[in-house]
Amino acid sequence: MIIVKIIKGPLTPFPSNDDRNQDGAELTFNGRVRDTEHGRDLDALEYEQYEGMAKAELTKLASEMCQKFPISDLFCKHRMGRVEIGETSLHVSIWSKHRKEAIEAMDNFIKELKIRVPIWKWAILTDGTKVPSACVHD
Amino acid sequence: MIKIKIKCFSQVRYAMGKDEIIMDIEVGSTTSDLESFIIEKVEGKLDNISLRVAVNQKYVQGSIELKDGDEVAFIPPVQGG
Repeated sequence: MIIVKIIKGPLTPFPSNDDRNQDGAELTFNGRVRDTEHGRDLDALEYEQYEGMAKAELTKLASEMCQKFPISDLFCKHRMGRVEIGETSLHVSIWSKHRKEAIEAMDNFIKELKIRVPIWKWAILTDGTKVPSACVHD
Repeated sequence: MIKIKIKCFSQVRYAMGKDEIIMDIEVGSTTSDLESFIIEKVEGKLDNISLRVAVNQKYVQGSIELKDGDEVAFIPPVQGG
């Protein structure tokens, strides 16, 4: 199963579950906002999306991961708008029978997300100015 | 003439100073024509920034001819996560 949510405001993690008998791995990733970017001090990040296309690409990507890797579920939440330092901007939870496929799927999912899902960061600097983030991911 | 909408995000929005542009263009105009227009308009502010093109919220490869009512986005490197 896939759940993809793009949300504004605080992010509530997907709940854990002690009742799964077939999945031996529950892998959770929380991407959080750091206080610096390329030597610049940040006050926060502000996330921007191409509304409609971002969710469509994220859903398509999640679906591809479920086909490519033998995982049971992939759940993803991505925040939009202002996200304070230390807060979670991206939350992903993957369930699978064994850990290996969950780890590979997680790595692939996040790598692809950073290549093709139309979401961007704006850096809110400590002097109050807002500029496109200089952050480019591997 | 046909009417199209350009959506601007991140560096493109920063360079253009707006998040959306609605404009009339010649019949037969392509995404490449539109990209050249944008690049020229921002006078160097998008130099060294690779742009992908989406038409009606789908990535397209190469240059395609635009139709009346199309929504076009020149997508700078994405930064989700």
